[in-house]
Amino acid sequence: MTTKQSMHIDPYEKNWIRLSIGLLVMFAAAVAVAGFALGIQVPTSEQRVDPKTVAEVGPWANPGLRELSPGKYEAYVLAQTWQFMPREMTVPAGSEITFYITSKDVQHGFKLQDTNLNVQIVPGQVSKLTITIDEPGEYTYICTEYCGLAHAAMFGKLIVE
Amino acid sequence: MKRFLLYGFYTLLIVVVGGAFAFKVFQPVQVLPRIRLAPGFALIDQAGERLTNEDLRGQFTLYNFGYTRCGSACDLSNQSMREMQDKLDELALGDIPVTLVTISFDPEYDTPERLQAYAESVGADPARWRFATIADPSLLKYVIGGGFETYYEAQDDGSFAFDPAFVLVDGWGIIRGEYRYQTMASDAERIMRHLEVLADEAINSKGSASVAYEAAHYFLCYAP
Repeated sequence: MTTKQSMHIDPYEKNWIRLSIGLLVMFAAAVAVAGFALGIQVPTSEQRVDPKTVAEVGPWANPGLRELSPGKYEAYVLAQTWQFMPREMTVPAGSEITFYITSKDVQHGFKLQDTNLNVQIVPGQVSKLTITIDEPGEYTYICTEYCGLAHAAMFGKLIVE
Repeated sequence: MKRFLLYGFYTLLIVVVGGAFAFKVFQPVQVLPRIRLAPGFALIDQAGERLTNEDLRGQFTLYNFGYTRCGSACDLSNQSMREMQDKLDELALGDIPVTLVTISFDPEYDTPERLQAYAESVGADPARWRFATIADPSLLKYVIGGGFETYYEAQDDGSFAFDPAFVLVDGWGIIRGEYRYQTMASDAERIMRHLEVLADEAINSKGSASVAYEAAHYFLCYAP
């Protein structure tokens, strides 16, 4: 006859194990709710471009904000050491803005302060993100990836009025 | 018994997590993203006939945007459309028809007659490639700018500022592809490859196989 043996686990430890498993389940549920119910989009790479020519042909040759239709805008932003092009954009409050951002040299980041828009800018890839801003004010966008000496000076301004 | 159950549970967990991981890494099924709904519209085409988004249900539609006085700025775009028009028969699309539609953003000048002449000059087959526009410029702005999210703006000299773009719409009226700037592959090549990916999903995503296609959507296994 085999004796049934189970590993002894301290009740205190057992509770922590349960708690950590519970946390994982909670995180998975939160991700699912965020994705499906709240429609939060994960920034995915849109399409691949050639970083050597991206600043010369196509929309990034004249980066900036353009009106698609009333209340709807698109912004082509080019990141380079150590500045964003354009440096300043102005939109009316309540506008929907779609950003198409790419880099022509090294990795950069793009974070629009006071909003949840934050994305990595990888050379050769286009990051596309859409946001609607209702609250008037000045929103700074900053580089969040250390990109060299003047990284700290790499920022621009979105004015919502 | 209890231990057996526990091991069973762990094995199952590893199979599920490992399977999901392998699905994402090896991508046995690839799809095109469901980007958003295409806009509704009622255009007038080069034959003077009404062309609405509902007429294009159940088939794949590729849109591009231009105008007849465009000159060389539209050459590349027209060449790509022409190339696709001529190669459609070689693609594995089952029986799903494909329509190419060029929407003009210059309704004032681009009458059906002028569109007709332009269509002939670029070698369009009227059964496959239609040219159309809407008389009301503000409606047109909502369709092209608001719906297809493609920028254009009239300039003082009568020309238009724009960037060549293609938008691919499936049989349910959902935008599945947007081609707005120079990528590594040519637009025509990518779009033709994408048409086959779309057709593959439309034909094979039935019954239990649809789970694999939905998983591909969920894990963002998008065709490059």
